[in-house]
Amino acid sequence: MIQIKDLNFGYPRQEPLFNGLSVQLEAGSITGLLGKNGAGKTSLLKLLTGLLHPQSGEVSVLDHNPRKREVAMLNDVFFVPEEFYFPAISISDYVKAYAPFYPRFDNEMMGRILVEFELDGKSNLQKLSHGQKKKFLIAFALATRCRLLVLDEPTNGLDIPSKSLFRKILAGSLDENQLVVISTHQVKDVENLIDKIIILDNGKVIFQKTIEEISQKVSFISGNSPEVSGLIYSEAIPGGYRLMVPGGEEETSVDIELLFNAITNGKKIG
Amino acid sequence: METNNIFSFRRLVLLCKQSLILNRKMIVIALTGFVGVLMIAMFFFQAMSEFKNWQNRDSEVVFVSLFITLGILYSGLSFPAFRSKEKTMAYLMLPATSSEKFVFEILTRIIVFILLIPFIFWVVANIEGALVHNFVPELINYKFSFVETHTIKSAPLENEAWITFAIAQGILFVFIAPFTGASHFSKSPLLKTLFTLTMIVAGYFIFIYLTFKGLSLNEFDADKNHILFITNKNNALIAFAIAATILNLCLITISFFRLKEKEA
Repeated sequence: MIQIKDLNFGYPRQEPLFNGLSVQLEAGSITGLLGKNGAGKTSLLKLLTGLLHPQSGEVSVLDHNPRKREVAMLNDVFFVPEEFYFPAISISDYVKAYAPFYPRFDNEMMGRILVEFELDGKSNLQKLSHGQKKKFLIAFALATRCRLLVLDEPTNGLDIPSKSLFRKILAGSLDENQLVVISTHQVKDVENLIDKIIILDNGKVIFQKTIEEISQKVSFISGNSPEVSGLIYSEAIPGGYRLMVPGGEEETSVDIELLFNAITNGKKIG
Repeated sequence: METNNIFSFRRLVLLCKQSLILNRKMIVIALTGFVGVLMIAMFFFQAMSEFKNWQNRDSEVVFVSLFITLGILYSGLSFPAFRSKEKTMAYLMLPATSSEKFVFEILTRIIVFILLIPFIFWVVANIEGALVHNFVPELINYKFSFVETHTIKSAPLENEAWITFAIAQGILFVFIAPFTGASHFSKSPLLKTLFTLTMIVAGYFIFIYLTFKGLSLNEFDADKNHILFITNKNNALIAFAIAATILNLCLITISFFRLKEKEA
């Protein structure tokens, strides 16, 4: 679904951001795009959606070149940016104005998600809080049934109940033909949701594995001391340590934050 | 299902419907404001001419002034999505081709304005005239007509088609230049466009002046030594019309590619 090969990109009068970046993603997964501040997560998402143009290299999304912004691609790609603008109209008017552009738009799903997010169709979009606006945009994105959903920091601005609701709704609204790419630095918010992790650092993909592959190779445990045989990485936490150790027979849930810190500190797994 | 990636009339209609939903309040407010201001302005100018001296031609002067001023302001507001990064992203991600979005902008910012404003002016001017005449009978010429002024001519002009064409291109330039500026500049596009045009025109005249001085071209006798194919006023008019057309086409093309290559 997404193929990026030898991508080079940088902003004018700045150091190049991506040097020969390559990524391949297939449908049927929720991929977490992680990286430090300034690693280029948002820029990569914009390159995928055609909002930025690469200097060289190949980017293919749903067999289209995003740079051309062809309707056949735009019909099937929805980008939820971190910052967005809404006109001063009601939710129902917004749906009336924008939904006809998406051939598979599901009005029933839109209504259901709005109810779950406790949003009223008559509310004026500009009078909603930032979190409510974001919930509306996520609801709209899901209702478009686009094959590629690109979410940039989707949980920023959401309150705690909304974050768990977001996870529940996202997991329950997708099918196997869809791919969701979530860029976030709030990894706890997407734990138990994402099934593939990509970590960006210094303009390259330094880690790309599924949660299944990770949990087969490493375990995440708590302990009183970091001195454990085969220890890959450890971090002090209140009352002890979180430890990343080679995988045993028993699979543990993946501690994405610990994994991210381990990888960006140069640790290797598998 | 095969998707048309070049131009779809259906999607153009969707863009128009979308614009009506998003801007209906603004459209109503703007039209009401325009009608109100026009009525007050007409009454004010009629009063200045003591009503009895008011002529059809005076209404036309008001129309031309309004048409040009509002046209520049309105077409300078083209591509409203380009005024902020967030709006630009939403606009570029909307499933419609660049050509559909471009045609929509041309349609709503130039063509609709050119067709609608004369009609609204004609209606308002006649209503206002009739109302004022009812209370101030001194206002004799209260009926406004675009045709009246132009039918009173002393003699048919030579090359009338070219004159009309040159005027049309000149008027179009007034709309197209701010339109292109709005596609290029994100913040304060109209101011920047006017500044850029002023710089270009001033630069051109300084260049011509210095060239004339440096090459002693002030001794050039235009009547004896014709420049290229321009040998008389008619040729000069044709040259102007062609140059204005080329300029307008270039500006339109530039604005299309600004939209097509826009990043956010």
